[in-house]
Amino acid sequence: MFKRILSLGTVLVLLLGVSVAQGAEKKVAIKFFTGKVETVEWMNDLIKKFHAENPGIVVEQEYQKDASNVIKVKFASGDIPDITTVWDQGFADQGKYLDLSKETRWWSRVQPSIRELCTDLRSGKQFRIATNMTMAGIFYNKKIFSELGLKEATTWEEFKNNLKKIKQKRPDVVPMFVGGKDSWMLGHLIEFMAHGAVKQKYGTMGSRKAFLNNDAEKLAFDASGGPMETFAKRILELKEEGLFNNDFLTATYDNQLEAFATGKAAVISQGMWALSGILEKNKAIKDNIGFAPYPPIMDGTKPVILSAEDSAYLIPAESKHKEEAKKFLDFLFRPENLKAYSEFLKAPSAFTDVNADWGPLKDEVAKALKKGVNIGFTTEAPPGFSGDDAGRMVQELYTGRYKTPAEFAKAYKAAWDRAWNAARR
Amino acid sequence: MVTLSRRIGANLHKFMALPAVILFGVFFVYPLLRGIGLSLTDWNGISAPRFIGLRNFVDFFRDDRALNDVKNTVLFALGSAPLLNIFGLLYALLLDRNFRGKSLARTIVYLPAIISPLIMGYIWYFILQPERGFLHKVLESLNVSFLGDNWLASGNTALAVLVLVNVWQYVGMTMVIYLAGLQSIPVEMFEASKIDGAGYFVTLRYVTLPLLAPAIKINVVTNIIGSLSVFEVIMALTEGGPGYSTESLSIYIMRMCYGNFTGYSTAVAIILFFIILLPVVTYLRLAKSREVEI
Amino acid sequence: MKNPAGTFARSLIIVLITLTSITPFYVLLLIALNSPSRRLADRLFFLPEFYFRNFADAWRLSSMGTAIMNSIIITGGALAIVVLVASCAGYAIARFPTRFHRMVFNTFLFCMMIPPIINTVPLYTLMRSIGGINTRWAMILVSAANVLPFSVFLYSSFIRSFSREIEEAALVDGCTRFSAFWMVTFPLLKPVTSAVVIITGLGIWNNYAQAVFFLQRESVRTIPLAVSMFFQQYGARWNLMAAASAIGMAPAVLVFLLFQKYFIKGLAAGAVKG
Repeated sequence: MFKRILSLGTVLVLLLGVSVAQGAEKKVAIKFFTGKVETVEWMNDLIKKFHAENPGIVVEQEYQKDASNVIKVKFASGDIPDITTVWDQGFADQGKYLDLSKETRWWSRVQPSIRELCTDLRSGKQFRIATNMTMAGIFYNKKIFSELGLKEATTWEEFKNNLKKIKQKRPDVVPMFVGGKDSWMLGHLIEFMAHGAVKQKYGTMGSRKAFLNNDAEKLAFDASGGPMETFAKRILELKEEGLFNNDFLTATYDNQLEAFATGKAAVISQGMWALSGILEKNKAIKDNIGFAPYPPIMDGTKPVILSAEDSAYLIPAESKHKEEAKKFLDFLFRPENLKAYSEFLKAPSAFTDVNADWGPLKDEVAKALKKGVNIGFTTEAPPGFSGDDAGRMVQELYTGRYKTPAEFAKAYKAAWDRAWNAARR
Repeated sequence: MVTLSRRIGANLHKFMALPAVILFGVFFVYPLLRGIGLSLTDWNGISAPRFIGLRNFVDFFRDDRALNDVKNTVLFALGSAPLLNIFGLLYALLLDRNFRGKSLARTIVYLPAIISPLIMGYIWYFILQPERGFLHKVLESLNVSFLGDNWLASGNTALAVLVLVNVWQYVGMTMVIYLAGLQSIPVEMFEASKIDGAGYFVTLRYVTLPLLAPAIKINVVTNIIGSLSVFEVIMALTEGGPGYSTESLSIYIMRMCYGNFTGYSTAVAIILFFIILLPVVTYLRLAKSREVEI
Repeated sequence: MKNPAGTFARSLIIVLITLTSITPFYVLLLIALNSPSRRLADRLFFLPEFYFRNFADAWRLSSMGTAIMNSIIITGGALAIVVLVASCAGYAIARFPTRFHRMVFNTFLFCMMIPPIINTVPLYTLMRSIGGINTRWAMILVSAANVLPFSVFLYSSFIRSFSREIEEAALVDGCTRFSAFWMVTFPLLKPVTSAVVIITGLGIWNNYAQAVFFLQRESVRTIPLAVSMFFQQYGARWNLMAAASAIGMAPAVLVFLLFQKYFIKGLAAGAVKG
């Protein structure tokens, strides 16, 4: 038995050596490297249709869970994809992406605000083009709010008082549920609430430039009374009042969605991406989901709401099949395909000629967008300091590692600067 | 012709290590040597690397997060390596004997190690979560729910949980090597000991353990190495959190490697190598001197 | 240990051990058999819903059939190489302690301690230049190389503890040292070989860190890669992932059962004259 297994293994190895070198054809193969698993299947169907129309081109989709890591290794060893969804400021600075600014047939159809978000500030060019938008803000339970007579908060005091009232009147409900184990969600709190203050003060382009150039004066990360210190103060306030879930540090994304879907949490911070997960856990919550902007953490500022680009595509400059890659994007950008994509992804389209019925929060979102200042993601953050890292610092804040909010602000600036310097040299 | 082939045959044993050397040289040592060179550069993974001498190594000793990770890693290993060995040996001694369901029991002990690390964290969360977790419910029904505190919320207790989970999950691997060791001891040795009238523990002390020396050596060395380079269990359970309070050096290296500090991460990896080397070499020296005594 | 109390105590301990060890696996099945709407906080949370659709969905969505095939080929191929190559090397190192062999042994030992992440970029470059990306044969070679140090360490330590006398008897019978190894020593190594197969095989079976880079196409994807398909940009489809990884465990369990047979006491005892 033992010998048989061994010899079987040897035979297998020999067979493999022979059977591998096959499959070279004359078609042009373009490699599509994606980090978006949700769309893999949908894309494969689209690729089939594309193949039927373009017999000379083969599109190979590769999905990677850790796409932003994998693409670094690929670029470093010269294995260049032809289309990718992974943006990295460092690669843009090194001229690794193809300039798409001249593709007016695409840009003439894209909403100007999205084009602005797709613009690389250092070069003023557009290396990526987004097909969709996504939003994030405060999800709240409408039923609980109307039972207790609460209104959407427009100031920090109102926000806190809402949570306090929920705690008082509904002890079985967590006022604000945070899935702090998955640190990216805490990173989002910094992103929307703390960075949000910078973003609304200097506008989209002004703030993006400030982040990109690490403009210490405008960012004021370590300023007393600045966005970071205030943010830390706010989190500690809510903690001391007992307005978060007890397991703030160890609850997960899943726990958060479940708590909200089952009415056990009144308020969560989330984006459109969470909708299908919430509905999967409890379909009946559908008409009870309210959506509001984030309350301003600093007095005298306005509520903010994330309204950012989603599903962006890039063509690496070293791709050998740029024309074929563009041809595929042309195909993807056809209104009927984008409409189907939007409805599949449950995200509004960034293209003006696409009218998609994208999801149950459509009207709520449209209302909320008018109530708050629209901000984007900080895509200019240095790659060595991700949202995950920022979130970890919030975990540390919560465990009491920083004695004062000012100390947190100082540590935040130090971590940011270190990563920024490493990326800039 | 016959003599030539005979001469080749007679000398063939001198080249028996060669296939391993070639395979390992090409697919491990060669890329490794090229990678090690990066530790002397400030490469960020994107722009061209620049030579900066030993600066990365100097920086390491001023890097609070890295030093804290050294502490976490060493504490983890101090708990994990001895426990894995002790339990691995006990399990092997228990399951080496003949009884019904022996192979089932061995398989079950080994089972946790096969579960994909990707989902391991979720499983442990299902078990360990405060209030909703499996363990909490069990403790609750036994009326000792105060034991089910939120152990993962603070770095020190989380580290202890990580050690236990690691032992729980990988004890099967250590056991397998001890089983192989026990199997290699000739039955006659035990029979001789029995004839001499020795009891179980005397036989264990003077026959079994000395003859298990190769298995013990392998397990001690691999458990020191495995525990000091711990990665998967921590990633699955706490991802190094809260904050960085349970981050290990291996996790730090990975994060630095992909986070624009590629050159620096290589330097930290080399430092980790020395941190592992020290106890392993010390142990091997000790083991050798004891072998001479025996 | 003839007294009934001792036997009973021992059985009890064994039952406890197996119960603790089986818990994570039970939880895995529980998750795999729950529908996505099932709540963790349910009262009867320890009983699954028997929602078998997860298994069908997981199988289809992650092309599990292909993945299992690839995992079997890669793990089987790599193990065959490892057992042949590492036992030879272990024998040479244990029996002929030349300076070269000592150096080889130390290199293997040192390399066990080096975090393999240092390799990543140079190895990827190498794999590209030999056309090894998206091929099973290259993944077999890389996987085999990864586990060589441990396997050689295991083999050489055990061979050292065996007596030379039986091999020398074979030499008198006209064998060369090389053939003496295959005819006499190798069959005695069954317990060690089983340990090598079970332990390093598991590492190869679960390899994710490198497979991610070298196996990009769906047609060559292994089980861990297939399972990772259920990780989403935000969150994950845990029920499907649990189902997929439960399916993916089955072949590994089978191999364990097959090889643990060689730990049966007394099989080789007659041959070893201690």
